[in-house]
Amino acid sequence: MGPLIVNDIISQNTNFLLAFLIGVGFGFVLEASGFSSSRKLAGVFYGYDTVVLKVFFTAAITGMLGLLFMSLFGWIDLNFIYVNPTYVTSTLVGGVIMGAGFIMGGFCPGTSFCAASIGKIDAMVFIGGLFIGVLIFTEGYPFWETMFNANYLGSPKLNEIFGWSQGFLTFIIILVALAMFWVGEWAEKKFPQEEY
Amino acid sequence: MQDRLHDIFINKNNNMNDIKKTKYINPYLGGVLLGLVLIVAYYVSGRGLGASGAIKSTTVTIVDKLAPEYTQKAVFYQDFKKTHPQPMKNWLVFEMLGVLVGGLISGAIAGRLKFKVEHSPKITSKRRLIFALMGGILFGYGSQLGRGCTSGSALSGMAVLSLGGFLSMAAIFGTAFALAYFFRKNWI
Amino acid sequence: MGRKEISPGRVLIKKNQDMQLKNINPRILLALFVIPLGIIIAAVPENTTKQYKLTAQELLDEVQAGYQYITTDEVAEKLVQKDPSIQLIDVRNSDDYETYHLPGAINIPLSDILSDEYVDILDQGMRLNIFYSNGTVHSNEAWMITRQLGYENNYVLQGGLNYWVETIMSPEKPAITSSNDEFAKYDFRKAAGSAIYGGSVEVTEPAEQSSPLPEVKKKTKKKGVQGGC
Repeated sequence: MGPLIVNDIISQNTNFLLAFLIGVGFGFVLEASGFSSSRKLAGVFYGYDTVVLKVFFTAAITGMLGLLFMSLFGWIDLNFIYVNPTYVTSTLVGGVIMGAGFIMGGFCPGTSFCAASIGKIDAMVFIGGLFIGVLIFTEGYPFWETMFNANYLGSPKLNEIFGWSQGFLTFIIILVALAMFWVGEWAEKKFPQEEY
Repeated sequence: MQDRLHDIFINKNNNMNDIKKTKYINPYLGGVLLGLVLIVAYYVSGRGLGASGAIKSTTVTIVDKLAPEYTQKAVFYQDFKKTHPQPMKNWLVFEMLGVLVGGLISGAIAGRLKFKVEHSPKITSKRRLIFALMGGILFGYGSQLGRGCTSGSALSGMAVLSLGGFLSMAAIFGTAFALAYFFRKNWI
Repeated sequence: MGRKEISPGRVLIKKNQDMQLKNINPRILLALFVIPLGIIIAAVPENTTKQYKLTAQELLDEVQAGYQYITTDEVAEKLVQKDPSIQLIDVRNSDDYETYHLPGAINIPLSDILSDEYVDILDQGMRLNIFYSNGTVHSNEAWMITRQLGYENNYVLQGGLNYWVETIMSPEKPAITSSNDEFAKYDFRKAAGSAIYGGSVEVTEPAEQSSPLPEVKKKTKKKGVQGGC
């Protein structure tokens, strides 16, 4: 019955070992899908390569379906998994800043590690930038502490906002994602790019 | 038969002018696999994937080692150390080490291991690196403020239907789309 | 065998020496797969069954260690101090409850213990619920059932109402040859009894309890994972 660590089926050390292995899987899939290339990553914003859209949303819906089905079969207890909390202000402001970082740098932290591992120097520089950015945050923490903690809503799920069940929301998101995939394919044909 | 399977699973990045073919897997397949990795993470450890947290742990550890008297007084470090007595013995740190290995393996199999600065032929390497650095700084700061990056907050958050995850997703991608025009010279 | 210019995801099928393009677009494949799954997951009601949270071995261990007991003296002390963190629960039938019940006790007859209206009282992490009955048989039964459902913070009054009456309500004066401890206990019980039930009696200092409040079990409570970036 999952999650395994909560039910003491595995020890903390096994948990860390598995974290490593999960990371290996994560890195492998990212790299194999092309996320080690900043030009592919940025492509979704210009239409020439929508790999980000496809992988991201397919992963999200696979995850949603997987978790809900596992809960249905009694394989996992969803009450014990981590749902990240919602602090409206800091999420939105942080998100905007991250968006700017994304379009400038062409990476996000996970993909930058994966790209750095295959030798991309721009990824390594990006990682250096990450450290600097984190340092700026921690050093100036008192300045933004209030904003950081503002508007805490707990850990609401999106389906609660609409008054839907989790399954129904998943279904809607599946439809939205599929629609986006179709648009994505259209965009790729419309904005082709030479080899990159 | 070989060709058929080959064509389904390997999405050749060629359009009208095809030159070099980089063999990446089909993105939908990649997405499904990534979703499976995510499910395993939740099943085993009760949490999703993540990345920026490992950077935070490392930064805090380094600063603490280099300037311990300073961290005694700084609010952030004290709060962090209270909740994380051993910052480096952290799920995310182990996971990111795995990411490095996993990426390396995949790159090695596909023959993509090479030191290079990847940039659009229309700009110089130097320009690319400058923007990479700036992007990194912004992303590093933003991920701390947003309590997660695309993997930790957006992807994992969406898989559990968290409101924060969706907001994060919308903010990051929305902003990137909005600003795309201004940085187009770097990419296309 | 010439190769046509193909766009991603298309599949070539050789048929009668002619090359025909058959479209098994991965998108379509994905859509065919996820839409039915999505419909199923939207239609099926969620799984809300509570799993047994303890294995049989764990339950046996707890039962043998006697973690569930709280003594009459401890409860008396808490009542004297008007400690709001405890909740006495009388598991006998309502007639017995009406006849006499401990101060502040509520009545949840054993037969009704699984009813929905009591779930919030029984399954919570803030107050100490203390089951009692005349002896300890029924209160233990109540404890076993709630413990198997994974509820925490439920305890059993050791000795039950019978012991309470013997010790707190009309404590027996110890023989002259008894130890100081016994006298201290007697004093405490008399004082507690009068404090709880009224009436003026010489109150000596209630005996200092040597053991502190019963710990909510040392076993780590299962709680959700801390995650985050």
